Amino acid sequence: MPAKTTERRAFVASLRPMLPGALTLGAGLVVWQLISLAYLPVFFPGPGTLAQRMIELYGEPSNYVVVGETLWRIFEGFLIAMLIGTVLGLLMGLKRGIEIFFDSWIMMLLSFPAICWAFLSVLWFGISQVAPIFTIVLIVFPFVAMNIWAGTKAVEKDLIAMGRVYKAGRLLLLRKVLIPSLSPYLFSSLRTALSLSWKIALVGEAFGVGSGVGQQLINWFQDGRVDMMLAWGVSFMIVMVIIDLLVFRMWEWRVFAWRPRFAT
Amino acid sequence: MWGCKGRVAAPSALPPAELQRAKGQSAPSQQSTEPEATVPAITIDKVTKRFLAPGGQTRFIVLDDISLIVGDGEFVSIVGPSGCGKSTLLNIIAGIESYDTGTVTIHPRVAAANAQPRIGYVFQSPRLLNWLTVEKNIHFVLEAQNVPRSKWPDLVAKNLAMVGLAGQERNYPLNLSGGMQQRVAIARALAIEPDILLMDEPFSHLDAITARKLRFDLMDILQRAKPTILFVTHDLSEAVFLSNKIHMMSTRPARIFKRVMIDIPRPRQPEDARVVELEKNLLREFFSVVEA
Repeated sequence: MPAKTTERRAFVASLRPMLPGALTLGAGLVVWQLISLAYLPVFFPGPGTLAQRMIELYGEPSNYVVVGETLWRIFEGFLIAMLIGTVLGLLMGLKRGIEIFFDSWIMMLLSFPAICWAFLSVLWFGISQVAPIFTIVLIVFPFVAMNIWAGTKAVEKDLIAMGRVYKAGRLLLLRKVLIPSLSPYLFSSLRTALSLSWKIALVGEAFGVGSGVGQQLINWFQDGRVDMMLAWGVSFMIVMVIIDLLVFRMWEWRVFAWRPRFAT
Repeated sequence: MWGCKGRVAAPSALPPAELQRAKGQSAPSQQSTEPEATVPAITIDKVTKRFLAPGGQTRFIVLDDISLIVGDGEFVSIVGPSGCGKSTLLNIIAGIESYDTGTVTIHPRVAAANAQPRIGYVFQSPRLLNWLTVEKNIHFVLEAQNVPRSKWPDLVAKNLAMVGLAGQERNYPLNLSGGMQQRVAIARALAIEPDILLMDEPFSHLDAITARKLRFDLMDILQRAKPTILFVTHDLSEAVFLSNKIHMMSTRPARIFKRVMIDIPRPRQPEDARVVELEKNLLREFFSVVEA
């Protein structure tokens, strides 16, 4: 039938933009598989082996507890770092004195080696829940503070002047002018902070907690099982991508509803 | 708190002699030398402001001994070349810029015990909060001015209708054209029921056709709401079309060199012979001073 043919043609045409991506992805998988043939599966697993290991992981209920523990640590560290970073960044942007005082401190913290914090926190807090959270906070909050600080500097002075002309109080200016102006910076901070937090959390766990995904990684590392390490790593990456998509993208979409969208 | 010394300036602040006739005018009735017996809304008495030149010790004078009175319900324009300090003067009146000597007094229409005068301000660009709907942009200033919430819906509806934007309450500013955004800014300024309305070249960023339309609409609003307006512009024809009084400013020195009263009845037409004639005469005089 001609109607059905045009429909099918339209469907095929709509797939066309995805073609290059699909091709490179397919080619990558083929190359990966070919290389893996030269090695033992535990040392360099091919895509098929990796998928199999991941399915095994998902079948084991205790693994969800492991992921849950790690997620909770990330959440705590991330939240504390976001809070400290946002408040400090705001204060630095608004108060000259605070800016001068913290400026060099932030720069120093940003340059301090992350791995040092991981080791130091183990020495200071021992094998405990505090160690990885402490590490996350110390590494992440300077990033957030610097980002929000830059955002505060970029707030349109004209809008602040408008608010002052109409006698808007500090709180009203903060709620309706400053924070909405900062929201692009807040969102970029949120996402950077989250991706940093989870990477650091795994390192922290590997060194000094004895539980969580990081612990799994170090165990499999000691057994020389690359396939299991990759299975854990990729699975965890998928969890974080889903959180990013579900929480931040949708939230961002709602917050920026005022931006005109071009009709498609 | 914002530069008001809280005293009513003596009538001598504005010597009647300064209210000159425009030279070479054809119809004397269009202008009068008699100061009107209106209640003052803004009194600016011998205000001087200096800026320290960046890096150097030299101070240059932004405003040099400026005195003027805006009567209640009047439309007064300040016309001058860019950089003559017109906007600075508005900011001083609005209380967001300091000055060195002189007094600025704003007289609230309703003489309540501790009434702060309400100041509406329309800027060159709309300065809307793009993340808030049109309605919430107006709520912002109402909240800032502590207007009771129960009055908000009426004030929003009335003033949006006044600027021809009824029905746009829930729209976001970036979905509106530049002219419509500026209308929202005007509605926002009117919504607080201002004692005085300051306008800083509000139409200069718009295309000629939109600007012309907005001038007509402003004229229409004047007939209905009778706000007191101090209007700053570099466009003399705009000033002649809209104003009751024009103060012409020069750059160096930053002074008012001529004051004109315009009696042409409203509503006016920009092509009206009296408007055109007056404009021509004032332009000649304006450039003879400014270009000197």
